[in-house]
Amino acid sequence: MAKVRLLGPRDRLPDVLRVVQDVGLLHLAPLTTGAQILPAELTPLQERQHRNLGRILADLDAAVALLGCRETKRTLVPAGSGSPPRWARLARDTRTRAEKLSARRASLEEERALLQKYQVFFAAFEGLFPTEDRSHQARAYPLILRAGQVQHSRLLRHQLTALLGGGFELRERALPGGEVAALLLVPPFSADRVERLLAEGRVQEVPLPSGYTGGLRDAIPQMSQRLGAIALEEEGLRREVGQLATTRCRELVAARAVLHDSVARFEALPLAGGTRHAFVLEGWLPADSRQLLTSRLEQEAGNTVVVEELAREQWAGDDAPVVLSNPRLFRPFELIVRLMPPPRYGSLDPTPFVAVFFPMFFGLILGDVGYGIALAALGLALRARSRPGTTLRSLAEIAGPCAAFSVIFGFLNGEFFGDLGQHWFGMRAWFNREEAIVPFLGLAVALGLVHVLLGLGLGVASALRGHPRIALGRGLTALMVILITICLLAAFEILPAALFSPAVIALLIAFPALILVEGIVAPVELLSTLGNILSYARIMALGTASVMLAVVANRMAGALGSTLVGVTFALLFHLVNFALGLFSPTIHALRLHYVEFFGKFYSPGGTQYRPLTHWYPAPNRPT
Amino acid sequence: MEILWITLSAALAVGIPALATAWAQSRIGPAAAASLAEKPELSTTAIVMLAIPETMAILGFVVAVLILMRGGA
Repeated sequence: MAKVRLLGPRDRLPDVLRVVQDVGLLHLAPLTTGAQILPAELTPLQERQHRNLGRILADLDAAVALLGCRETKRTLVPAGSGSPPRWARLARDTRTRAEKLSARRASLEEERALLQKYQVFFAAFEGLFPTEDRSHQARAYPLILRAGQVQHSRLLRHQLTALLGGGFELRERALPGGEVAALLLVPPFSADRVERLLAEGRVQEVPLPSGYTGGLRDAIPQMSQRLGAIALEEEGLRREVGQLATTRCRELVAARAVLHDSVARFEALPLAGGTRHAFVLEGWLPADSRQLLTSRLEQEAGNTVVVEELAREQWAGDDAPVVLSNPRLFRPFELIVRLMPPPRYGSLDPTPFVAVFFPMFFGLILGDVGYGIALAALGLALRARSRPGTTLRSLAEIAGPCAAFSVIFGFLNGEFFGDLGQHWFGMRAWFNREEAIVPFLGLAVALGLVHVLLGLGLGVASALRGHPRIALGRGLTALMVILITICLLAAFEILPAALFSPAVIALLIAFPALILVEGIVAPVELLSTLGNILSYARIMALGTASVMLAVVANRMAGALGSTLVGVTFALLFHLVNFALGLFSPTIHALRLHYVEFFGKFYSPGGTQYRPLTHWYPAPNRPT
Repeated sequence: MEILWITLSAALAVGIPALATAWAQSRIGPAAAASLAEKPELSTTAIVMLAIPETMAILGFVVAVLILMRGGA
């Protein structure tokens, strides 16, 4: 990063900000110059313009969202083109119309849902009504008896018999949910007594939706008609929204981008300072981009604006923004590092290490050719559906190496969807995870040892310049870890036993030195580091669980009697295992990096590099 | 009879840490969800916090496997 200062005539400041935004590389920062420089403040007119732009943007955002305008690509509109007053009217009018259409649609959807809910019940009564010529002789009460109230039907029938003798008819029909639709027909002169009986027995009549008068018999066809009318009206609304979107989306989207850019420039103005006639602007940009900014400013503003680079002694590293810059191969893995707070300026960028170890851990856990190929296919599909520079594209590109490692370890493990590879293709297992559990555990912990020692080594390297004591402490911890490993290996006779005594003596010397350097917390730190190494045992645990689940899925095919049922269950189980196989290794490989590895050297607290640049719609915003 | 004790020990070695993990995650999960509702940028911390107690279950599993291996079950 290089810190630059831009100086020029005050009236050229808006043009300079426009050029800076076009170049899109300068991260503006508050001024560090002397007290004689006055901060630039928005004039009352600019403040009013800023507020107005905010209001127009709110309307534009709402209108774009309501119309569902798709923003495939940001088109840069030349500065000064377009008309904010026209856009304000357009945004307000479109928002109002779109909100009205949306409210009407919501109301229709609500009504349709209500009618459909009623219709399920009312359809059950349709066949229960008496014929037209008998209907005037009887009063009808539509009742719904809930699933647990079926015995109430017998009780009701018994009480009606006691009250009316045989002068009633109770027609019933069972509903799919266990409820019973019952239509009670009684002579009109008995209505009062029957209603009293129903009220006492807390048997409720089916209520009609509001707006429907007359009986249930008249309401059913009315509701069917209304449902048809709603469908037509909804279709009309959809067409109207579609027309509005077709005629206005393009301009709305372009206006939104231009106004976002204007707001960003207004917000950048207070970062400038100056005198009555000159302005000063400071910021950071990648060191190799200074020439580009200078030449663009020369083109646009002539030689009235000066770009000077501040000497390294004039700025503190802690204030400098951080940008992760890695070779193309490692760049997708910046996504994983960016999930953490950015590292301090000048500290180590762990992306290259993440790019090597993350897919390796993932592959070791998944370790299956079949699942690896499925993951590769998923990655390719994601890649085809994503745009360069987006989060989705980074995910697709991370999936590639993870799939490659899964396939490589799958070949070594002899696994293709569990043990299918051995049965179908005669794959040979060089490292059978089903049986070689203890060697797999040893491999996982050994990997942990290498990873944690690498972390400690990086910690030494990053602390060496400013904090030699911390560097010494980390170095001693690494040495102690190596000595403890040698002791253990010698004790179990994996290394020559003659190494045991010298290693113990070295440990006895190194331990007080460690306490001297790091203080009383040193033993706790050392134990925590050993715990970190043991934590890599999760690679073995998850890997074993993954292969066991795959084997169980394969056993299902022959264990359920029917081949079709067995194969279906086996496929489903493999699908679940694949989903677990994507989720679990990701989470645990992330954890191993964030907690065990980064904890040894990573120093967060940097400022994210956010240059003044053009606004992009969210899905296309460069990451 | 010996095989019974070996398998029981292995079951306890993995079962008790698994219960402890479940308890810890049952406390962390809602807290993480509540935090994420207010500050979505804490997602990494939430994931790491949720994954931390799993170490207990995983190490318990490792110990259970070792018990079974050493015991010849």
